[in-house]
Amino acid sequence: MKISLKWINDFIKTKLSTDELEVGLTDLGLECTKEEIGKSFTNVVLGKVETCKPHPDSDHLSVCEVNIGDEELSTIVCGAPNVKADILVPVAKVGATLDNGSFKIKKAKLRGVKSHGMICSGKELQLNSDHDGILIIDSEKNIGSPIDDVIKTESDTIFEIDLTPNRGDCLSHLGVAREVGILEKQSIQTRSVSITENSESITNLVSINIESDACYRYASRVVKNVEIGPSPNWLVKRLNAIGQKSINNVVDVANYVLHDSGHPMHTFDLDTLVDKTINVRFAEDKEKFTTLDGVKRELRDYHLLICDGQKPIALAGMMGGENSEVTKETTNILIESAYFEPTVVRKGAKKLDLSTEASKRFERDTDIENIIPALDQLASLIQEVAGGEIVGGVIDNYPKQKIENSIAFSLEKCNEFLGTDLSKLDVSEIFNSLDIAYKNTEDEFTCNIPTFRNDLEREVDLFEEVARVFGYNNIPDSLQFSGSYSAFVQDTQILDCKIREYLANRGFHEHYSNSLNSESEVSHFTEIASIPIANPLNREMAFMRNSLFPGMLKAISFNEKRNQKNIQLFEIGAIHQQDDKSETKTSESFNLGLVWFGESQMHWKKTKENVEFFKVKGELESLCNFLNIPKIRFVENTSMGFSYSVEIFSRKTYLGRFGLIHEKQNKNYDIKRDVFACELNLETLRDISQNSKFIFREPVPFPSASRDIALLVDKTISVEKLQRTIKNVGGELLIDSTIFDLYEGNKINSNKKSIAFSLTFQAKDKTLNDSTIDSIMQKILDKLSKEHQSIQR
Amino acid sequence: MSLFQQIDEIKGQFQTELKSLESSSENYEQIKNKYLGRKGLIAGLFSQMGKVSAEDRPKMGQALNELKSECTQLLENVVAGSDNSSESVTIDFDSTLPGNPISQGSVHPLTLVLNEIQDIFKKIGFSIAYGPEIDTDFYNFEALNIPKHHPARDMQDTFYISDEVMLRTHTSGSQIHFMKEHNPPVRIIAPGRVYRNEDISVRSYCLFHQIEGLYVDKHVTFADLKGTLNYFAKQLYGENVKTRFRPSFFPFTEPSAEMDVSCIFCNGNGCNICKYAGWLEILGCGMVDPEVFKSVDYDTNVWKGYAFGLGIERIAMLKYGVKDIRMFFEGDTRFLRQF
Repeated sequence: MKISLKWINDFIKTKLSTDELEVGLTDLGLECTKEEIGKSFTNVVLGKVETCKPHPDSDHLSVCEVNIGDEELSTIVCGAPNVKADILVPVAKVGATLDNGSFKIKKAKLRGVKSHGMICSGKELQLNSDHDGILIIDSEKNIGSPIDDVIKTESDTIFEIDLTPNRGDCLSHLGVAREVGILEKQSIQTRSVSITENSESITNLVSINIESDACYRYASRVVKNVEIGPSPNWLVKRLNAIGQKSINNVVDVANYVLHDSGHPMHTFDLDTLVDKTINVRFAEDKEKFTTLDGVKRELRDYHLLICDGQKPIALAGMMGGENSEVTKETTNILIESAYFEPTVVRKGAKKLDLSTEASKRFERDTDIENIIPALDQLASLIQEVAGGEIVGGVIDNYPKQKIENSIAFSLEKCNEFLGTDLSKLDVSEIFNSLDIAYKNTEDEFTCNIPTFRNDLEREVDLFEEVARVFGYNNIPDSLQFSGSYSAFVQDTQILDCKIREYLANRGFHEHYSNSLNSESEVSHFTEIASIPIANPLNREMAFMRNSLFPGMLKAISFNEKRNQKNIQLFEIGAIHQQDDKSETKTSESFNLGLVWFGESQMHWKKTKENVEFFKVKGELESLCNFLNIPKIRFVENTSMGFSYSVEIFSRKTYLGRFGLIHEKQNKNYDIKRDVFACELNLETLRDISQNSKFIFREPVPFPSASRDIALLVDKTISVEKLQRTIKNVGGELLIDSTIFDLYEGNKINSNKKSIAFSLTFQAKDKTLNDSTIDSIMQKILDKLSKEHQSIQR
Repeated sequence: MSLFQQIDEIKGQFQTELKSLESSSENYEQIKNKYLGRKGLIAGLFSQMGKVSAEDRPKMGQALNELKSECTQLLENVVAGSDNSSESVTIDFDSTLPGNPISQGSVHPLTLVLNEIQDIFKKIGFSIAYGPEIDTDFYNFEALNIPKHHPARDMQDTFYISDEVMLRTHTSGSQIHFMKEHNPPVRIIAPGRVYRNEDISVRSYCLFHQIEGLYVDKHVTFADLKGTLNYFAKQLYGENVKTRFRPSFFPFTEPSAEMDVSCIFCNGNGCNICKYAGWLEILGCGMVDPEVFKSVDYDTNVWKGYAFGLGIERIAMLKYGVKDIRMFFEGDTRFLRQF
């Protein structure tokens, strides 16, 4: 919202500098920045665009020949969309400076065309904030006249305020002036309006019926015999200064009062109203209505309508209708000044996706006591700028009173809450500056809240007001921290930190991927029912991810395209699925995803290695070992999206799966080379890891002894089976069995393989002698031969 | 030959053999066994102690012990000397070749920043808590004093699953989850991913990460809030950083504030990162609104509290000078490996 300092001066003559106002308003909670407008310029003159042709080498630039009062025309390259021949424009000649002197106009070449000067926008001349195009001027002055003689702008400071939704009262110059008053420690001067009425009585002309609770108050005046036309200069300047365009005198004054006192009003062409009656009622469901922007809208039964004797004429608090709009031919005007329930306007506007200056203010609640002053101000201004006569009297239909807001305030509680040591006098002064009337006995205050501060409802709201006016930065900081022991709770995700550190040290980069996926992505790797977003940004992000793979594969694709050859990524993130048992009908779980892609780092000592199954398996075994996940088992079971894959278990608990991503998915994600990927259920890992008991074992002081064996077995016999047999027979004395060689090839039968094991034996209580070990070895070989038809080589 | 003579003789013999050994120490084990071993010559002399008269025995013992320790010492000297004696050799390979590669990964910059912030609050006794990413209207809005049809809902564009279920727009809902499940006092921070239905650009992404703080106890003041957040700012940005608090509006806190820190790039003098304001906005905070306590059945007469929330991406972008928020989510290893 833009606020003009000149306009503020109507209410309060502030002695503060614009810098002080900027900081002061921000410190009061009206975050703002300022901009100076209406400076004078040298070397900026009135010019006339004689010809305007498209730039030969650009699709948005134009090459103009501009008369700036010199003997020759100047060639100027202009990028504005609204430039054309035969318009008057401000031209900054070579040598002019703009933007407070920091932007000097020089001869320039723009895509090969020489440009001598610049055609300016309103913003560049600091006239207003319009930068959508160049400023087109309507003037009788001679071409080449200094621009300061052509456009008389007064210098002003415009504050751009980023208002929080609770401060509807500050959506006007009056409201901001009140805040300036707090800074100045003085009260503001409200406008006094004098009305000259004719001898008619409005009650003979119009009647108003309110049929709905949502309209607390509806007041009207009638102005007859007006003449619609252009607005006077002062009005245009005021509106331009805050970025509003002038339309006609009546529309402009209504807009002016809106920005002046903050009360949105509407003007009807009285002669279009059937029966000269106003009825306020809710719409019928699916009732149609065309608003003055020409849009036919379908309403719901919670939309509040202003109707005449026959038909709707306005959407209450949002926008008037096309059928009753003030036009050039209008002579008699009915002004509406009303109070509508904020939530009704809010809900209605939201449904229609219609946000107007009026709805923005009604939603944030308006000052019900400002209805008549605003009405009088507008009637008087219409008469001032459009002539005519104000019909005698006001219709003020006020069926529903707002409850007067009175709040009990305890100084002691306030000090205790803020950590301050304010006196009775301090808070009294603060209340005075806020127009809060109060009575007090000792430290207890009874405060009457002014009607424009609808946001103050509770004692704690007054604590905030006290803090705000006293200054947040004047409240001392506590110098000590205290805490109750009982507030401590265990971090359920503490393991994640360890995993991240571990994997980073193992060469994995942590990735955060977008958890919004497309419909096809959520069907690539799992049949888990994913959750659609009702209002997605686009189709690529229409579902919550049900696997970490799509996001990680997209990252691989991104990297492969950038010529990265060695990629290992991991991600820890939530996945979601439908779940009828939960309140949200969804359930969330955390996964750990890992991907391997490409080849090992190039090195002089060894040839490059492509990522392969056993590298991945080893990495996972090591990770499980680090996390104290016991008894890891791998079970072949190719799952969706993989060429082949293996499931990982700890004892009988499923941990996740890993394998080689299917070529089809490589195509989907546009990846050329093999990708190995793993997804583990992180919650299971956390569970097992946190519950695993650490048992310390005393190192055995007796020596161990090793024996190697090489076996010839059928290719189909898995190592896991052989190992199991060896372990069963070896018993407690066999403390390790390692495979140190595997051979398949033409030196042996083609359906056989040769496997070499190194077995290590050790007893806890003695040194094993050779004969004990030999006898165990014999038993192992016998059993292997019996169960697996193995032959010792 | 008396025992004393034998001692002298063995001593001499040992020294001779040792000398011949000095050039190559390979046989020293052999000599060691011959003289000092369990069945060696010196042990043999000890075994003859019984034959010595009781009178001479102490002297004899002493002489034998001296012999033994002298020989041991001499032998050790030879061994040590032989270690030292080998002069360092010239490297006959190219030591400038790179070592075997150990590939090093990285923890994501957002994790690094999150950890840093968590550690700061953990030091003063905050615990970590979590809330779900998909939540109900009650937790994300209603219980936080953001009723339906309130303009405050416009502060956040929401992705909906259904009318009542949405992707959380802030981690503030974690406050409600925690308080519903735990009795006061409360002292938590709750990190997590949040979603906003906004167009993706350099400055904004459809999701980002926040960390929420909540402190509830008896006698908590606005001054306590300021004290804690000042501590936080100084921990994060150093002792010299200045803070300022501006009134703001969040439906779930009253009073509400935004905290700025003096620009860490220009020390508050004004630069293009702080847009010449000298201040950087880093977090929103306030005293917990009584309506929030009511929605979780905390007695508003007994319990007071403060809450705060900040965006991890914002802090990370400032810290690392990352200008495009989308880089955090692309997985570009050229970006990631720098952290």
